[in-house]
Amino acid sequence: MASGNDRRGTLGTAERRGRRGRRDVLKLLGATGVAGFAGCSGNGSDTTNTEGTDRSVGGRYVSASSVDAQSLNWLTIADATSGSFVTATLDGIWAIKPNREIFPLWGDYSTDDGRVYEIELRDNLEWGAGYGRMTAEDWVYMIKNVFQAQPNWSGYPNAGDWFRVNPESGQREPVPVERTGELTFEIRLFEVDPSLPFKPMLWRQQCIPKGILEKYVPNQDTKGLKQDEELNTLAYTGNLGPYTYESWERSARYTVTRNDDYYLQDVEGIPERFAEAPYFEGETTRIISEESTRLGALESGEVDSAGIPPDKATRFENLSNVTVNVTPQPYLRLIVYNMRANGWKPFRSKAVRRALAFAVNKETVVENVLRGYADVAQTMQPRWSDWYDDSRVEAFGVGDRYGPEPTRSRLESALSDTEYAYDGETLVDGSGEQVTLSIYYDSGQPTEGTVAEYIAQEFGENAGIDVQPEAVSSSTFQNNYVQTSAPEGADPEWTAGVFNGGPRDVATSAEPWDMSINLQFNTYPFTPASSKGFFEKRGGINFYGYYPEANISELYERASATTDEERRRELFGEAFGVISEEQPFGFLALPSSITGYASDVRGYDEEFNTGWDSQTWYFA
Amino acid sequence: MRWYVVRRVVWAVVATYLILSLTWGLLAITPNPAAEQMQFQAAASGGSAAAAEEAFEARRGLDRSPWVRYREYMHNMVTLNWGWSQSRSQPVTTAIANALPYTAIYSVPTTIISIVLGLSIGLYSATHQYTKTDYAATFFAFFGYAIPNFWFGIILLLVFGVQLGWFPVVFDSDIPFFSLGMARQLVLPVVVLVTGTIAGVMRYSRAEALEYVEAEFVKTARSKGADGYRVLTRHILRPAAVPLMTILVGDILGIFLAASYLVEVVFGIPGLGQLSYKAIIAQDTSLVLGTTLIFTFVSVIGNLVQDVAYTVLDPRIDYGDR
Repeated sequence: MASGNDRRGTLGTAERRGRRGRRDVLKLLGATGVAGFAGCSGNGSDTTNTEGTDRSVGGRYVSASSVDAQSLNWLTIADATSGSFVTATLDGIWAIKPNREIFPLWGDYSTDDGRVYEIELRDNLEWGAGYGRMTAEDWVYMIKNVFQAQPNWSGYPNAGDWFRVNPESGQREPVPVERTGELTFEIRLFEVDPSLPFKPMLWRQQCIPKGILEKYVPNQDTKGLKQDEELNTLAYTGNLGPYTYESWERSARYTVTRNDDYYLQDVEGIPERFAEAPYFEGETTRIISEESTRLGALESGEVDSAGIPPDKATRFENLSNVTVNVTPQPYLRLIVYNMRANGWKPFRSKAVRRALAFAVNKETVVENVLRGYADVAQTMQPRWSDWYDDSRVEAFGVGDRYGPEPTRSRLESALSDTEYAYDGETLVDGSGEQVTLSIYYDSGQPTEGTVAEYIAQEFGENAGIDVQPEAVSSSTFQNNYVQTSAPEGADPEWTAGVFNGGPRDVATSAEPWDMSINLQFNTYPFTPASSKGFFEKRGGINFYGYYPEANISELYERASATTDEERRRELFGEAFGVISEEQPFGFLALPSSITGYASDVRGYDEEFNTGWDSQTWYFA
Repeated sequence: MRWYVVRRVVWAVVATYLILSLTWGLLAITPNPAAEQMQFQAAASGGSAAAAEEAFEARRGLDRSPWVRYREYMHNMVTLNWGWSQSRSQPVTTAIANALPYTAIYSVPTTIISIVLGLSIGLYSATHQYTKTDYAATFFAFFGYAIPNFWFGIILLLVFGVQLGWFPVVFDSDIPFFSLGMARQLVLPVVVLVTGTIAGVMRYSRAEALEYVEAEFVKTARSKGADGYRVLTRHILRPAAVPLMTILVGDILGIFLAASYLVEVVFGIPGLGQLSYKAIIAQDTSLVLGTTLIFTFVSVIGNLVQDVAYTVLDPRIDYGDR
């Protein structure tokens, strides 16, 4: 897979080193309980600087985080920061390398058919607080009594991962899990799924000693589990992570110290740099809510890393004591068209959506609004993804596939059998009034506001449509525009949940809207089939009422079920080609993640998802 | 006066109960963005939004009836069992106990400096009206009023922290409370708050004092040979202090209720302002109500002190027949 290096976009000129934070990688798959250490992610490649002889243990790595964690009890949390705090002291089964290879941490897997997976744990894994050796029994007990418990008494947020539809019964059932030895257990899926190792149910999955859980499982004691002292102070982590919990002063700082007994030091067959890992004496995350203060701390050298907004990146690139890293992230910035009854009806036509795709100059969005820290988006995958087939993807909004003439001629043709027509350069409706559409953006995101203004300007100039930007809070948007339902008394033919309340002519959001850029959608570059719900008429997230003309979900399903990697690539390539052709959304850009590091921090590299070996970072 | 104070305290308890109930009610009916976010994430990755919502509610204890939750909460309030903070994973009392000292360590010096400097400059201005010093003080007062604390704090940090390196940019909670290091990192927050509060005290004390500077009884005192200091403190400040008490109590509450959050966010101080604000954002009901109780308590005590101070400062005020 292409690494996604030089994430200052394909249009950028500066060569930059890239980095992906574990937290962001985690969001990539929608998992939230197993993230990496905030602001501390390492490189994955064995480049010269990472295998150099100057690597030695020393120094305390200080990162800045805008938000604090909610809990260190990972069973009960769903926020990325909490996950990142825990991951500093607790690894997980395995990590994923930037080239989509599995790197075994606590254990490895084997499978013959992509349906039955055997997990084997290492033999040198020791719990802390006197819980002895980590065995398969710990895992099976946790999965069956907590993850798969019905009802979900613990409130474990990712419990749904451990249930799948059994084709024989047609019901959603717990995935069968059995212990097969002291250090081995087996997961028997109902159907073939070669992507399982890349899914959050196992990727970086953590565990809790059976001895702790036994105290709460019999009575399903939710309160006891939530308030357990050992879980909340990470007392059980033993030799299972690179660092050991030291202190957590809420709203101020989280501190961990080097774990001298880290199990990876005694493992053979892994890169040499792990032999003495981790290389920092300790790590501290400082909670600094205010952006100016956070950036000031980075500039003054009080912290070793902090995220940087696009409009400040250039200033930091000019500082000698800070290195700016720009790396890809999986979230798409796109225009969502409301095809439901309370939106603009012509959006239902593929030809109209395709015509409008000529109206917005994506290169300008990337270069001017996002300051070059983004890539142009054309489909539901980033260009560097393993599943992106350039020959199949249709480009819009770039080069000669942008401008007033191509937009108007196509829009005119697409609307030829409707009441809409051009009056000079203005698109008018049946009563001769100019078409006016709304576009919503998040009131707390100034960059989004600029994008909305730009889209409005482009629609006005190139399509003759008057677009009115409207700011709403994210909470209001979720409630009044994303949640859809049929009116009281109506009995919709079907419903697919709160984000797709039924057929688009029946179920609508509480408030009318035409376009929005409030939500960024995850492209899931490791497990692309995860975005299936966006492209199904009855998908779980179809709040915009999109009815695809091509059977995109079938392509997804065929690709997901094949064990032949080449064939899978072909099928996904075809799917993403079809998506670009159908234009369910106005694809705009994939913004990059920008992080500033103190110039003496070494170890990170230019790869997407390079946070898997942050324990090998060091100070030069 | 005793009966008056007793009635005031009883009313304060009723007011506290009403405030807590209202806050609880508002939180109970407000949709939670975290829950919505979880639902969207679950649905986006092929899971069930409904199951995600159920898991969230189970974890937060929201699957019980509102009446049960309300009753349990009120019972806990009365028994001083303020519950478990969901957003911080610690008892609410611990969260408040951890945060209060950080708020106190900058708000106490701020209050003292504001009152002492504000009164002094205000009285000086009143007795030296239309002099250059008076103009300078007036300019300072309006500057303090006009400049937003939040912005001023950032500017001070960038100039004195980042550029000049005189003060640390990030508040280090590891530094002992009573040490030079702590004093050093509190200089900027205290300066920001003092400029905001001193102006009010200064202008009001000047205005109030002016009322008495030319009063007959002041002239009488002067003619009897009282020196300037005695005239100022005994004959001008004392009557002027009655209306000033309202301003002083208001300022102190202002520091606790509003300014504390702004300053704590800018300077990264883990105090009560941040605690309360983040609790509201996270819809951490127990913690919101716990911090609300603290603010309510501070307001009630503040108003009580104010009323008692009236009677002490001005014997003409009699509450006996109210």
